[in-house]
Amino acid sequence: MENKEYDVVIVGSGIAGSIVAKTLTQAGKQVLLLEAGLEAGMAFDSEGAYKNYQDYLRSYYMALAKVPNAPYPDIKDAESPNVLDMTQINGKPDTKGYFVQNGPLPFASDYARAAGGTTLHWLGTCLRMLPNDFKMRSKYGQAVDWPIDYEYLKPYYEMAEREIGVSSDVSEQIYPNMGNDFFGKDYVFPMYKIPQSYIDKSFIDGIKGLKVSLNGDVYTPECTSTPQGRNSTPNEKYRYAATVWNKTSQKLELKPFPKESDVYVPVGAIWDPYSGQRCEGNASCVPICPVQAKYNALKTLKSAKKEHLTLLSQAVATQIHIDTSNGNITGVSYKQYPHPDSKDYTTGTAKGKIYVLAANAIENAKILLASGACKTSDQVGRNLMDHTVLLTWGLMKDKVYPFRGPGSTTNIPTFRDGDFRKHHAAWISPIDNWGWGWPTGSPDTDLDHAVSTLNLYGKDLRTYIGDLLSRQLLLHFECEQLPEKTNRVTIDNKYLDNIGNYRPIINYNVADYSLKAFKASKTVSDQIFAGMGVQDYTNYPANEPDYTTYDGQGYVFRGAGHVVGTHCMGTTEKNSVVNRDQQAWDHKNLYLVGAGNMATLGTSNPTLTLAALSFAAAENILKALK
Amino acid sequence: METNQLISGVRHRLIRSGEPTLTEFNKITTIEGLRSHLQVAIELEHSTIPPYLFALYSIRENTNDTSARAIKGVVMEEMLHMILACNILNAVGGTPAISHKEFIPEYPTYLPHSNKAFEVNLQKFSKPAIETFLKIEKPAGKDAPPQPDRYASIGQFYEAIVDGLKRLGAKGNIFTGKRSRQIRPEQFYGGGGGLIEVYDLATAEEAISEIVGQGEGIDGTIEDNNHQLFGEELEYAHYFRFNEIHEERYYKPTDTPKGGPTGDKFPVDWNQVHNIKENIKMKDFKKGTEEWDMMYRFNKCYCDMLRVIHQTVNGEREKLEQAVMMMYQLKYLAQGLMNVPMGNGLYAAPSFEYVV
Repeated sequence: MENKEYDVVIVGSGIAGSIVAKTLTQAGKQVLLLEAGLEAGMAFDSEGAYKNYQDYLRSYYMALAKVPNAPYPDIKDAESPNVLDMTQINGKPDTKGYFVQNGPLPFASDYARAAGGTTLHWLGTCLRMLPNDFKMRSKYGQAVDWPIDYEYLKPYYEMAEREIGVSSDVSEQIYPNMGNDFFGKDYVFPMYKIPQSYIDKSFIDGIKGLKVSLNGDVYTPECTSTPQGRNSTPNEKYRYAATVWNKTSQKLELKPFPKESDVYVPVGAIWDPYSGQRCEGNASCVPICPVQAKYNALKTLKSAKKEHLTLLSQAVATQIHIDTSNGNITGVSYKQYPHPDSKDYTTGTAKGKIYVLAANAIENAKILLASGACKTSDQVGRNLMDHTVLLTWGLMKDKVYPFRGPGSTTNIPTFRDGDFRKHHAAWISPIDNWGWGWPTGSPDTDLDHAVSTLNLYGKDLRTYIGDLLSRQLLLHFECEQLPEKTNRVTIDNKYLDNIGNYRPIINYNVADYSLKAFKASKTVSDQIFAGMGVQDYTNYPANEPDYTTYDGQGYVFRGAGHVVGTHCMGTTEKNSVVNRDQQAWDHKNLYLVGAGNMATLGTSNPTLTLAALSFAAAENILKALK
Repeated sequence: METNQLISGVRHRLIRSGEPTLTEFNKITTIEGLRSHLQVAIELEHSTIPPYLFALYSIRENTNDTSARAIKGVVMEEMLHMILACNILNAVGGTPAISHKEFIPEYPTYLPHSNKAFEVNLQKFSKPAIETFLKIEKPAGKDAPPQPDRYASIGQFYEAIVDGLKRLGAKGNIFTGKRSRQIRPEQFYGGGGGLIEVYDLATAEEAISEIVGQGEGIDGTIEDNNHQLFGEELEYAHYFRFNEIHEERYYKPTDTPKGGPTGDKFPVDWNQVHNIKENIKMKDFKKGTEEWDMMYRFNKCYCDMLRVIHQTVNGEREKLEQAVMMMYQLKYLAQGLMNVPMGNGLYAAPSFEYVV
């Protein structure tokens, strides 16, 4: 290992690292991939892969709190943040979990340090960003413009949609200001849409034609089916077999199927290609899809060219080494732990022509800060973003039968873009299929309340529960957060983990731009609930970790698990960490990939965009290696 | 790829000579003969599903993972073969019949139209059960020379179909079935291979290659032809997958059919099995009892599923979705039965009987 020089060394096996590894190895490059998570998670033989995943499932079934990281190993030597560790911050840093939370508000999202990364527990929503999301400065006078635009990303979005296996119907995808050619002519997704839930249908019927006013304008909220990275019925019109490197044109291209009769075959579980070929409605997508009908990055990594890929797990990248004469990176140091919780480790240095950090936005920032890399702009670690999620919930008039199907299958895109973005954040409103689970812990807490507080039993208990659970409605208002210099990740020798690596220190707050959107979206929610006769049960207790106030009103927001920013791309080495090629301004042979590159957040869940960006990065790396 | 080459290795399932319904089969000369030949193919493919499912259900949850997954994989491929045979029959203008009383064999049974060399029981997961499965899927060796004017193996059986397709096709178009009756790959999933829409000789031969290749392996190898046809991962043919369980040891890619598996050992715990009654029948219970009702509910679900599949392959292909829901239901109903004690340490089990 020490002696071999690879073409490319990649840190992290999540979706970004896996896409780069797959694309490069298939183009014939020698790749070493370092993964901090456990060796067992890297099993790709059907026996080992199945066993390991069954272990994840068992942990999930046993867990009292079914939080996103519940199924995955809690490793002291490569700790993951956990939403259960979040508490209100009162004056001094909260060091209870992996994060050191300086506040004033706790950063409310987590990620998974395991093979496959956070795609193990993502929901699977695959929305593209809107054209105006890339031009926030020139269009709305807010934040920054990206150095690339929607047109640039469009072909890579198509590659990402093939790689993830997105199920959706193009004709239903209508968003504000999307332009005439958002999807190319005749474009179709690999699979038809995931059927919308019964609750969706009831909601869509109820909201039809309803008018809501906001800042003096009148809107008619529309509903659309949500594109998802989970398997559905293949669309026979979809014609792409693979994404391949064309040496002559020096471009990545979608290669058509060789035969007319070929159809897209949904990618099943990594242990058995025939498992998980369709979503089975297990309704536990977050934290774990039991059949792997939902995409995870292990599917991509498994299809990398094995002869060209070396995997090194339980290897935590700690530092990159810089040749001070030319800024080039000369190696990545890592600590490899033999047992997940021991203080022992061995060290090594991986060497390649090009280095790729794909360890999640917060972990990438940590490694760069620990190495004194990318210092010119002073932007490393800054601009940490997430969707701040305001939830509203109530009881529908009729039974709508939640707790069935994937987490969300329909959304309201009406407020994803508009002139209001000059004043407050845009948002997307997914309609939730899992009742009040997120805000109140339904259904368990409802039963507990009925038995312990209301003293119900027998038929009365069944009637009460049957009526309450089957009418639960939950809406999300996922509000865009802008890049702020002060929302940042730092490191300090005072805060080290079990094997002496830095823990992320997080300073985090929510600016007025988002707070105004809480107020605005709550106004919209109130009008929807009133118009549809939904009995409102929303409440925002002042003792919740992310309780905040605006204009005299209290709000509780949640994290969306969208960890974005920290090494944003930009137009100059003064204002950003990477250029439009996702190459570090300060180090020519260093590429940063993942949601950390995103200059603004928009209202899309970031995974599809970061996957598209990763294909673009892989293309740039292949060009650079020529 | 030449079909004849593929069939040279051939799986067995001997066809009994003199079976009255098979008079046409020696040499298929009429379209009616071709169609009834294909109907038999459908019945043959189905006949193994109840015993395989019975053994699969009997394995206790979260035990014998490797064995359970191997059997499950084989069952799913048998389902695929059954639908492929339906597609071929539909392509030549036939009408598959899969929901009549005789469609489900009464266990114990000889395989339909076999030479009665062995009986197939509904048996829990056990060495004897696997030995029966091995007999079902055994490739015909050199010691079983084909007998003149008789179909000695399923391979020859399908070879005769190909022969008939070619002979009849030379006289005029036989692919007169409506394309809308074909089950297409986007409708069928999880079935251990690629579903092929059949509309001409080439696609019919492709479908037959898939069926025959998965059963016995091709060209004297232990692999099936999935990875050659579809670029899928290497998977061993049914016989060899069952033999791995029997020997409690994996094959290595370099192993030969004769040599047996020489790869890593894997544990088979023959005790982690529900002790369910062999060849159980509804009449083992008193009508009107809860236990009888449970037996009935399983069988009703199984037969309803066959009815829906019958509709699916007779012009209502969108109904396949409903059948999938029933397949999930079957498992839950079987698990319920396996908790019903019958005395002497035995438990109830699904009986796979025809009910209305």
